[in-house]
Amino acid sequence: MWEWIVWGGMGFSKAVTERASKARTGYIKEVMALTEPVLTKRIPLDPDQRKLIRYDEYVATGGYQALKKALEMSPDEIIKTVTDSGLRGRGGAGFSAGQKWSFIPKEKKGPHYLCVNADESEPGTFKDRYVMNHDPHMLLEGIAITSLATQCDVAYIFIRGEYHYSAKVLEFAIREAYEHGIFGPNGILGSGKKLECYVHRGAGAYICGEETGLLEALEGKRGWPRNKPPFPAIAGAFARPTVINNVETLMNVPHIIERGPAWFKSMGTPSSPGPKLFGMSGHVNKPGVYEDELGITLDYAINTLAGGMKGGAYKACICGGISMGVLGTNQLDIRLDFDDVRFRGGCLGLGTAGMIVMNEHTDMVKALRNCVRFYSHESCGQCTPCREGSHWMRKILDRIVAGEGKASDLNMLMELEKTMGIMPGTTICGLADGTSWATRTFISKFYDEFARVCPEEPQRRVSLKVASGRMNVLTPMGSNTR
Amino acid sequence: MAWISEDRRQALVRDGKPLLTDDMKKTLEEKYFPRYPTKRAVLLPALHLVQHEYNWIPPQAIEEIAQFLEIAPAEALDTASFYEEYWLKPKGKYLLQVCRSLTCEICGSEKLREHLQSRLNIDVGETTPDKRFTLVELECLGACGSAPVMLVNEVLYENIASTDQLDQILDRLPDDPHDFKDPNITWEQDGSHSG
Ligand SMILES: Cc1cc2nc3c(=O)[nH]c(=O)nc-3n(C[C@H](O)[C@H](O)[C@H](O)COP(=O)(O)O)c2cc1C
Ligand code: SF4
Ligand code: FES
Repeated sequence: MWEWIVWGGMGFSKAVTERASKARTGYIKEVMALTEPVLTKRIPLDPDQRKLIRYDEYVATGGYQALKKALEMSPDEIIKTVTDSGLRGRGGAGFSAGQKWSFIPKEKKGPHYLCVNADESEPGTFKDRYVMNHDPHMLLEGIAITSLATQCDVAYIFIRGEYHYSAKVLEFAIREAYEHGIFGPNGILGSGKKLECYVHRGAGAYICGEETGLLEALEGKRGWPRNKPPFPAIAGAFARPTVINNVETLMNVPHIIERGPAWFKSMGTPSSPGPKLFGMSGHVNKPGVYEDELGITLDYAINTLAGGMKGGAYKACICGGISMGVLGTNQLDIRLDFDDVRFRGGCLGLGTAGMIVMNEHTDMVKALRNCVRFYSHESCGQCTPCREGSHWMRKILDRIVAGEGKASDLNMLMELEKTMGIMPGTTICGLADGTSWATRTFISKFYDEFARVCPEEPQRRVSLKVASGRMNVLTPMGSNTR
Repeated sequence: MAWISEDRRQALVRDGKPLLTDDMKKTLEEKYFPRYPTKRAVLLPALHLVQHEYNWIPPQAIEEIAQFLEIAPAEALDTASFYEEYWLKPKGKYLLQVCRSLTCEICGSEKLREHLQSRLNIDVGETTPDKRFTLVELECLGACGSAPVMLVNEVLYENIASTDQLDQILDRLPDDPHDFKDPNITWEQDGSHSG
């Protein structure tokens, strides 16, 4: 088990990697384009016409049919259907959803919990908010089906504190669902299989998106990720078996149950089937959330979906939230699925598919400084390499941005980047890997730009003063922004 | 985020009347206790509730919450101080939260922040002398598609194209923050605070 989830969920099992390398040589469709929207089928393209889909409208357009079907299936059948569909987690890990559910003990000795990860805080990611704000019942239906499959009694939707509007939408939708017997004392649609569903608001900490950090926050503690094992499937929330899935992952589930694994597999690539929400932001003409098949090329995503570049030619693109690293100027042909970005693209993975597109006028050194500042700010402080390393890196980058960089700074950055994270085995969670992959890919793909501002001979005496005003207040252990 | 150390000088000023009122206790008991198997899990909702009422979380309230949830005050403070959204010192009526992460930065959030700094004549993290505005920078607010963005209390402003637009936003804020509602909530709402 350790092998599979080495990364607190962000990792790739050996099996997945093997399958992926086979898939790469296999047949991949030349042209990818979704024939009909799936997750966004009730959300109009025109922003002015978008509105909240309420219970009545959701049911009138075919909602909660999959739940009725799932009620007639056994838990094992549901798990098998989802495993067969090849649905992979959309929260960054890309781990098979069906497989994850199958780890939950079949024999029930107490309550099981479902935690929905709506903590979306990865810079560049805004897909979950988009679908939750408009079509919350699709998520609730996914929750109900998943709970049937894993025999969960309570579902907590862990939503980040800053999503005030979304939290209210969800509370409203849950109230509607209770009124119509989806949740509540009579069981799902009167079946006697009881399920309660609650919103639990976080309070502004990126690290609570990490699944065990989320569990700690749910239990009322500080969001410190846990050492694994035990894995959440065995001892998660309140030390009970717990399923943790991303919002988008669960939204796929009703469609898979309704239309079958074969239909699901007709979209996407062999190793990454299905539709995906791509969040396009940055220097593009039409930023926003777009749904398409996994495996579209970056070129298609930028030029067809997002309406082309704005303000200059393409230079770089963060491919799935900043933790995944950056795609370079010559990588427009990369296919956006869980494997191509990783194996050919040289990034950590597709992540959340939140793309930050940058044009030729973007300063990559400043961009990396921004990313590293994020990690040094959000590190929870448990592991020394992450807590100290990210702060050193930020100080070094501040110096470089202030024009005081030297070659040894660059070497130091690259040395630090190699030593922190789960992959070198020095930290508890994957946040530190985000830091190192962002640094690694930025420096290796835009080395010249960094080398230019880090000359071999020091130009002037290096002062250790931190450049920007807010950086001046540094406590020994971390940063204080207030 | 995890290491807020400056609040140690915050003296514990005890007020005669309890800050965690009977009404609030009732809400917690009826709405939140049944949701979780442990009392401690109610801590985050309880802190949200107190902050919603008083606009910050006074040390006395932390003590009272801890007592009510049957945990040590240190444990409650431990949790409260970890999360950035909980204010352990008073803040202005309006909390201006400008996103500073990558998309917003390349779309011009620095300009917005500088404009706010010079208009309000405060630095990031400070409050205006009239206690109306507090300015902070946050990491990605999950609205990168409409960058640059700013969160004012609970309302998100997107696509802030110019400093004029920013001025308009500030000028239109009502005097009493309780009158400040999210204009996007058009569907039926019973007004209860989402916890
Ligand atoms: C530092 C860190 C932050 C994370 N943040 C999120 C997040 O905001 N939302 C999310 O869905 N998953 C996040 N994840 C991934 C979760 O740990 C977990 O893998 C995911 O919720 C599992 O759901 P899935 O299998 O449906 O993708 C994060 C992981 C790490 C290491
Ligand atoms: S890697 Fe960083 S964020 Fe993760 S547990 Fe360690 S210190 Fe915390
Ligand atoms: S970067 Fe500002 S909202 Fe995401």
